[in-house]
This record gives sequence, structure tokens and C-alpha cells, in this order.
Amino acid sequence: MATLVHVEGLRKEFGNVRALAGVSFKVEEGEWIAIMGPSGSGKTTLINILGGLDTPTGGQAVVDGTDVARLNEAGLTRYRAEKIGFIFQQFHLVPYLTALENVMLAQYFHSTTDETEAREALVRVGLKDRVTHLPAQLSGGEQQRVAVARALINHPKLVLADEPTGNLDEANQETVIQLLRELHNEGHTILMVTHDPALGCLADRRIDLAHGRLVQVARVAQTL
Amino acid sequence: MFTRLLWKLLHASRGRLVVALVALVSGAAVISALLNLQFDIERKLTQEFRTLGANVVIAPPNVTSAARSAAEEPALIDEASVWKVLDPNLPKGNPRETRVEELKPQLEFLAAAPYLYFIGRVAGAPVVVGGTQFGAAFGPFGLEPTWKLETGGTIQAVEGSPSCVIGRNVAKQLKLSVGSPIELQYLDQHRQFVVHWILDSGAAQDSQIFVDLRAAQSLLGVGGQVSLIQLRVNGTPKAISQYTAHLAALLPQYEVRPIRQVTEAEGELLSRIRLLILSMVLLILVLTGLCVLATMAALAMERREDVGLMKALGGSISRIVGLFLAEVGVLGAIGGLAGCIAGVALSHWMGQRVFGTAISARWEIFPLTVALMVGAALAGALPLRRLGNVKPAVILRGE
Repeated sequence: MATLVHVEGLRKEFGNVRALAGVSFKVEEGEWIAIMGPSGSGKTTLINILGGLDTPTGGQAVVDGTDVARLNEAGLTRYRAEKIGFIFQQFHLVPYLTALENVMLAQYFHSTTDETEAREALVRVGLKDRVTHLPAQLSGGEQQRVAVARALINHPKLVLADEPTGNLDEANQETVIQLLRELHNEGHTILMVTHDPALGCLADRRIDLAHGRLVQVARVAQTL
Repeated sequence: MFTRLLWKLLHASRGRLVVALVALVSGAAVISALLNLQFDIERKLTQEFRTLGANVVIAPPNVTSAARSAAEEPALIDEASVWKVLDPNLPKGNPRETRVEELKPQLEFLAAAPYLYFIGRVAGAPVVVGGTQFGAAFGPFGLEPTWKLETGGTIQAVEGSPSCVIGRNVAKQLKLSVGSPIELQYLDQHRQFVVHWILDSGAAQDSQIFVDLRAAQSLLGVGGQVSLIQLRVNGTPKAISQYTAHLAALLPQYEVRPIRQVTEAEGELLSRIRLLILSMVLLILVLTGLCVLATMAALAMERREDVGLMKALGGSISRIVGLFLAEVGVLGAIGGLAGCIAGVALSHWMGQRVFGTAISARWEIFPLTVALMVGAALAGALPLRRLGNVKPAVILRGE
């Protein structure tokens, strides 16, 4: 398998606060990685840099051959549109757009919209009867499934999930976990931030961070 | 997707946008009414000024030029030589009013009246006497349509009639009333007249007596000659000046000049009204823009999260802000169009109130007002530029 993500000596400082202090690791294509660690360990900062939402202070973060640290604002915009699919803890759907339109919004910023494809993506996550519903008319689990459909609609190289089940009840957690499993089985590369050890166990490998430093990178079977 | 998003944005923020829309509609209504008035004001004012009476006078050459060529130039005007120029296209009879197509097709001279002035005496008192054609001077379609008669009615004297018009000051001074006989003396000549009308012009004519032109010419022994001929010409001050110059070329033996008080006052008033309207339009545009600005500043705060998310999804700032600007532009266009319709009604009402006639709708106002409103709305949307600085990572963290 080819290396999709290559992080080398990645640093990020917010003023005097060091969020990442020289983190290095690699992710192969098709891998499911769980990034774990206590609050303030730099998990979200790492995922934001890999997603092009933030820029590093130093080091390298190469995703699919693109060094994110070297991209300007316009380059980061295209990078996010073309290579990354985000799944957020808070879902982050546009409240005045329907489920279908929220998915199509990602298509719109990527290239052109295709309503049929967007509808199929929602059917795939089990929301066939919810396409015209507004986020406020959907349950938390349904909203997160819309977010998953939106994250996948542009066939991204890398899916970044920040606490994807953090805001869900048990039943909905199970639904989303099942979706992530399916994505992994289809060959998607997933980097997932989670506090949940049970969810972390489903990944191929686990990266533990503490105080901005990489504590361990291990295959999940080894950590169990 | 663009129009779909646009519609959703308009619908989602309708509460706030209605405030901006009300400001835009109100601004557009007043601006379109003012612009409509501005475009029509010249025509209306010209019409109003023409009711003030004569604005061009044909007179013998002034003293200086007369002194230069006293031998050739007459002290009075030969009526026939002037009417020969003015009359060809006129219908026969008085009042002399119609177009003089051959002089200047785009101009019309509405009325003309000859005057023969002299100092006569009535009951031993000196008084300025003007011989004129009553219908041409005082008639409803004559030179001075705004002059009123204390006795009411209209003057319709027959040529050679012994009837006379006296100014109200003369009537008061000489204790004359309608039906009073007067004996007018000029040098050793005497002529009897009967007061038929008392004039209230509000001007110098209130201290004058007017008699029939032929009777005056007979009294002075100057058949076919007059002191001056006054015209009431329709058109802008510039057009009147051009007309005057053209007429002067056709009547080189006389002095043809605009009555400056009227034309200059007209020009100055027009300039001032235009300046006033322009200032008001600018002020309203600024106020409308400020109102939109206040709404958009609040809206920009509301939309930070949406923008952060859109950026995270790969939306370029130009595309995102372009979407919001299109929303504001649509708002400006709707406001401008709705305001225009209200403005036409407003200008119609203003025309009735100010000029007594309806101001017709000028269709070029519509695109102009819509463009101005879109401009004001876009200028008011400046706070949306701040959305360009939104950091998606910060927004998505919930800060």
C-alpha cells in the first residue's frame, strides 16, 4: 500500500502555547487510524492541519503528495474541496438547507452539483425518506449521517472525523460506527479523533498524543 | 445550485432582510420621484414661467446704437415689418398665438402683443398710457395670462373701441371706477374713453392706462408704429436665447433681446432645484446605504458559522462572498423596482400638488433607480467583506 499521509516534525504554536511539538507518522492508503489522547493533547489541531483548516508553524504534512504547509489560502481551499471529507462532532450542517442541499453544497464548492448522486449518497446512509428535511427536523444520528454523506460525495482521498460519535446516543453511535466500518471496508482512508476506546479499537492503528507529542503509534491489536 | 442557495439565503434571513428591503423601497420611492421630477422639472418650470408673461422684447435700437446711426434707424418700430417676420404662419386675427415654424421648429412662441407707450394726461395728472391690442395683451391666451381684472371676466375689446383698461393704482388715484368716462390728453390732442376694466397685475402696469392701439396711434399721429413688441416664447433659457438670436438676425434694424429678469431667474431656479434634487438623492442614497450596512453588519455576525463551514467544505471566499453579495444585489433590485413603482405614484402626486398637473412617468428612471439601489445595497454590504477573514478552524471549534 502507498503512503497517503506523511507527517514529519509537525509543530503548531498558538502564541506561547505549543499544541504540536514535532509529531511524525505515516498513514497508508485505506488505513483507519484512531487519534487518541486527553483534552489539549493536540488531536484536533493535528486533524485541522491535515484537513487544511489550519497551517502548521513548522514541519511537514504531506497528504497525497501535497505538502499542506506550503499551500496558500487559495491552494488550501482547493485542497479541502478535492482531497478531504470532514465529519464533525457538532455535525455542522447549514440549518436553512435541506439534507439533500447540504450534500449538494459540498458538490457545488467542489465542481458541479448532481442531485441524483447526492440523493443516492443519502439513500446509502439510510436517509431515503429524509432528503427534504431541514437539519432541525432530523435527529442527531440522522444529522451525522447527512454529514457522512456530504463528506463522501466528492470521493475524497482522506476522511477526517473529529469525534464523530461524541454527540450521539448509543443507538445512533452504532449506526455511525457501522457507516465508518463500511467506508473502511470500501477502502477509504480514515483519520478519526476519538475519546472512546471502544471506537478506537475498531481502527487499524492508534496514534496516542499527549501534550502535543506523539506517545505511541501501534496496531490496535497490540494495544488491546 | 447558485439560485437555489440564493433563494435559501433570502428566505433564511427574511426577518433581517425585510428591514433592509423597507429602507431600499423607501429610498427608491423618494429617489425615483425626485429623479422623475428632475427630468420633468425643466418642462414644468418653463410652462410655469411662461405664465409669468413676456420674455422676449423687440424694441427700437438702444440710445447708443441710435446715436451711432440716428439717420437710418427709427425711434419707433414699424409694426408691419415685424409682423411680416412673425405672421406668415399665424392665423389671421388676434391674439397672435401659434408656432412660428420657420423660425425654430422646436420652439413655439405662445403670444405676442404690440405696445405704443406715451405720457398722457388725465384730469391734468400725468399718466403712462399704453396702446395695445387688448386680446393679444390681456386675453386668456394673450401675453399676460396671469393678470387679473378687479372686475372679473376677460377683456375682449373691438379694434377702435373707446373702451380702456386702467391699473388699480390709477383707479384709486383718480377715483375712477368701471363706467367712468375719462378724457385722455396728449399734447394738444384729446380723446374720450370709458373705463371698462380695472387691472390688477401686481406690477408697474397697475399705474398705467391701456387703450386700443389704433386709437393711441391716431392720438400720437404715428400710424402703423409701436414702441415695442413683446413675445412670450416657450422653451428653456438656452433655447430662448437661441431663438432671440435667430429673430435678431431676421430683424437687424431692431433690438431683439430676452427679458433677463425672467430668463435668468428661470435659469437660476432650475439650477438650484437641480442641485437640491441631486443633494437629496445623494443624501437618501447614503442613508439607505447606512441602513443596509447596519442590517448587513448583524447578518455578517450571524453568518460567520455558515461561512466557516462553507470554507471548510472547500468554498473559496470569492464564491461565498459573491453569493452573499448576489443576495444583497437581488434585494437592491427588488427594492429599487418596488420603490420605483411607488415613486411614480409619488411624483404624480407631487406634480399635482406643486404644478397642478400630473408628472408623466419617465421610464428611464426605472433602470437608473434600480442601479442606484443595487449600488447602495452593495455599498451597504461592506461588512460582509469581514467574512473573508473568518477562520474555519476557529468557527468549527465553536469559538
